[in-house]
Amino acid sequence: MRIEKCYFCSGPVYPGHGTMFVRNDCKTFRFCKSKCLKNFKKKRNPRKTRWTKAFRKASGKELTVDNCLEFEKRRNVAVKYQRELWSKTVEAMRKVEGIKRKRQAQFIFNRLKKGKQLEKEEAISEVKKNIHLIKAPHAGKAKVLEEKMVQKLQEDVEMGDD
Amino acid sequence: MALYNFKKIMVVPTSKEFIDITLSKTQRKTPTVVHKHYQIHRIRHFYMRKVKFTQQNYHDRLSQILTDFPKLDDIHPFYADLMNVLYDKDHYKLALGQINIAKNLIDNVSKDYVRLMKYGDSLYRCKQLKRAALGRMCTIMKRQKQSLEYLEQVRQHLSRLPTIDPNTRTLLLCGYPNVGKSSFINKVTRADVEVQPYAFTTKSLFVGHMDYKYLRWQVVDTPGILDHPLEERNTIEMQAITALAHLRSAVLYVMDVSEQCGQTLEQQLELFNNIRPLFANKPLLIVANKCDVKKISELTEEDQKIFADLTAEGISVIETSTLTEEGVMTVKTEACDKLLAHRVDGKMKGKKVHDVLNRLHLAVPAKRDEKARPPFIPEGARIGRKTMEVDAPKRKTERDLEVEMGDDYILDLQKYWDLMNQDEKYDVIPEIWEGHNIADYIDPDIMKEELKVKDEEMQEIRQLAKQIREKRKLKIVCSKDKDVHGPRLPRTVKKVERKTLEKEMGDLGLDMTGKDDSHYAVNARRSRSVGVAKKRKREASVVPTSRTRSQSASRPPRDQSGVRDPKMAKQAKKLMKNQQKDMNRQGKKGEADRHVFDLKPKHLFSGKRKSGTNDHR
Repeated sequence: MRIEKCYFCSGPVYPGHGTMFVRNDCKTFRFCKSKCLKNFKKKRNPRKTRWTKAFRKASGKELTVDNCLEFEKRRNVAVKYQRELWSKTVEAMRKVEGIKRKRQAQFIFNRLKKGKQLEKEEAISEVKKNIHLIKAPHAGKAKVLEEKMVQKLQEDVEMGDD
Repeated sequence: MALYNFKKIMVVPTSKEFIDITLSKTQRKTPTVVHKHYQIHRIRHFYMRKVKFTQQNYHDRLSQILTDFPKLDDIHPFYADLMNVLYDKDHYKLALGQINIAKNLIDNVSKDYVRLMKYGDSLYRCKQLKRAALGRMCTIMKRQKQSLEYLEQVRQHLSRLPTIDPNTRTLLLCGYPNVGKSSFINKVTRADVEVQPYAFTTKSLFVGHMDYKYLRWQVVDTPGILDHPLEERNTIEMQAITALAHLRSAVLYVMDVSEQCGQTLEQQLELFNNIRPLFANKPLLIVANKCDVKKISELTEEDQKIFADLTAEGISVIETSTLTEEGVMTVKTEACDKLLAHRVDGKMKGKKVHDVLNRLHLAVPAKRDEKARPPFIPEGARIGRKTMEVDAPKRKTERDLEVEMGDDYILDLQKYWDLMNQDEKYDVIPEIWEGHNIADYIDPDIMKEELKVKDEEMQEIRQLAKQIREKRKLKIVCSKDKDVHGPRLPRTVKKVERKTLEKEMGDLGLDMTGKDDSHYAVNARRSRSVGVAKKRKREASVVPTSRTRSQSASRPPRDQSGVRDPKMAKQAKKLMKNQQKDMNRQGKKGEADRHVFDLKPKHLFSGKRKSGTNDHR
């Protein structure tokens, strides 16, 4: 038993679910639900249909090249069962899954960083241009100005004295 | 070759059937309607057609029978002889000859009557002629009843003959009845010949096939032969003799050492010597069967001498027991080897070989030093070879186990698994984990990375920007709410209240306390004091001189701006009034009042257009 991949949306097809279409050149296509099958029959390209994983990978919205993705790969060589090998593999799978998730999240985070940068710049420009809506340009400076005048007067007085 | 045609011979119908079929066909396939008043050539043609059609049918079917049945001269002499033994050559030929004659007779009849029909002058005459023709043909067929029956029986038997290929490798079993020939063939091949304690259980030839050295071998089982001269032999024995005579095979003469078949060893030896001439040019082997009951060593001196003599002549004697399967394989291997050698010899002596031999060349590597380099045969191949030569004992199959254990049997496929660690055989193997196939993973490398830290300075700027955006939105909403009709006046028209100014600036963060001496406060006070005493009159002659009010007051009103003296003012006023005369007369509100109270007055648009214009009638 294996969990197959849906040809259209790249989602998992569990045993007992979905349909399979076999073409005359013996190529099989599995689908997880009728939505995918109907889209396929309408000859839509999954790489152009925005909600599919194929689109997301093709347009660079998700992590595509990474060595942690190389671990999950269909190998057409049968391996004889060995208990320790299997248990080690399950352990390793756990770890790899955790790392893969983190890396995928990091990838998306990095992708959205540029947006944050732009937001930052916008905020700065906003502040520079329209600060007057909140704060008057001389707010808090009156006191300073007064003190300066006082100081100046004092100096004058002193000068006069001299 | 005529081998397979025996099954494809068409069914030979009985004479009655034959006649029925043909006549009904004639009735169906030819036109049926004819009248007296038709033209005579048409009537003649109609009946001639029927006669010819019937003749054609008979002719076709009889020809087919003649071609389907094999000609004894054309087939392999083995089959020819076999057919002779079974069906009698003369009778067969006679029957076919009769059929041929019948065919010719029918043709003649048809020819004659067609000729006669040309002179038929009425429908009745032609009809009678046709009746006569058909009647005669059918009578001819009726006379063939015996032949047809015989041929049908021959056909049925012929199609059931075993398909023996006379040219391929064959082992032939012969001997007295009940010696164990059928048991032998059952052991060696997959054939299932009947084995019974009475003599002449096998009444005809049987074929079995086996494999040896990657080749297919035929094993032919014959009915037992008794010891009397050729002329006295019956059909069953003759079949065996035919096979012996014609098939190029290895002969296995089976003898019964224990004499359970009912013949003594001497009698068996007699028979052997009698049919010796048939064994010329064939590799011969003597099978001493039923050795589980009595071995050769247990025999008397004389009997043992017999066997010794035979061995001395160069014929190998092998003891077997079809019951215990002892020696059966040795017989098989020896016989096969002998036959192969014989056949190869035969081919070598022939002419065709030279064509092939001239093209063959066996290259042997030249020795370069004294080191011996024997061929390396791996152990597995050696074992394999051995099992080829001597059949390994049959493994106990699951079916045997099932039969043994009955209800307790459980199909356990995992017990044959060949794993590194045998005690893991019965483990439950996991296949799927959290939506992933375990089979897709192998030992991975584990690596980790650190996450980045957030930036804190930006937070303040972001907050301020947020506030700005909110204030802006608020302002937009307020200005939309104002809902101003009419022309928008500039800010300078309105007077700014001191209170609102101070409040706004205070909100923006400036300190507005103690601003009594400020410029705007002083001006406000001064303008107010003047404004209270004087009442502003609406007189054009008085040009306002004071400019103590705010900007809007300092500008002269429109009816006084640009007017130099009272005379000009009077004139301007006059112009104004003149312009307004028309409007006032028509009762309009002002310049912009273009309202038409009655867009389509009835008196203008109804009735005949006698006198008047569009504007009045």
